[in-house]
Amino acid sequence: MSEQIVVLEISGLEALHLAGIVGQFRDVIADSRRDDDPAVARLLPDAYPDDDDATREFRRLTGDDLLGRRADDAAIVLRTLGMDGGDLDADDDPDATISVALGETEALAWMRTLSAVRLVLATRLGIQSEDDHQPDDPRFGIYDWIGYRLDGLVTALDRR
Amino acid sequence: MGMMAGLATPDLDVVDETDLRAQPPSSWQTVVWNDPVNLMSYVRHVFRTYFGFDTATAERLMLAVHHDGHAVVARGPREVMEAHTHAMHDFGLWATVRKEPA
Repeated sequence: MSEQIVVLEISGLEALHLAGIVGQFRDVIADSRRDDDPAVARLLPDAYPDDDDATREFRRLTGDDLLGRRADDAAIVLRTLGMDGGDLDADDDPDATISVALGETEALAWMRTLSAVRLVLATRLGIQSEDDHQPDDPRFGIYDWIGYRLDGLVTALDRR
Repeated sequence: MGMMAGLATPDLDVVDETDLRAQPPSSWQTVVWNDPVNLMSYVRHVFRTYFGFDTATAERLMLAVHHDGHAVVARGPREVMEAHTHAMHDFGLWATVRKEPA
């Protein structure tokens, strides 16, 4: 266990939602070997936009590593949330605050996962410019909330 | 002595050729492109921690990505630029490799 460098304070309910989203994200990554999913494609950008052969070769060399890392990161997030297995204890107060203490490796995994989840959500929501935002659509609320959490984590890491 | 003086001229040519040959290894770039999703604070953090830029440099490059649509974040041999691009993809940034424009 590495030294704790940042502590996230989140409510039990929020942790539950977050675990649900990261769990879905992990499934999307796992299914990506079968499907041609544009959201996964965004996680593997074209390295050579003008050279299909070089892009394909680059993806052949890096793709498995990148997707494997997404899966490992997601597993770390779920583990540090204490939700890598069973459900949250029904007796727990959903409004109670949970402290999630992260070491350097775990903080990096959280940061990359929140960023990757936003990329997947953005593809699903069809976000193509910074002005694409529908306040009435609750899915945008989730997108913003993940962004808020990511920004807070980055700020905490920058302050060290 | 005379022979050494005689060799001086070809030596200069060799030096010139070496300079020309030295160009290709550093003539590739890693470019990071703007996207509507990644947060400015996150991009700045990645630039600072991965490349080891000071805060001002990381900020300047992040703003270049945001306002100009892209920024060259590294220059050098192709393999190194590919390694940087792989690392940027690992952080979810939209990065590409290209030859240094002539």
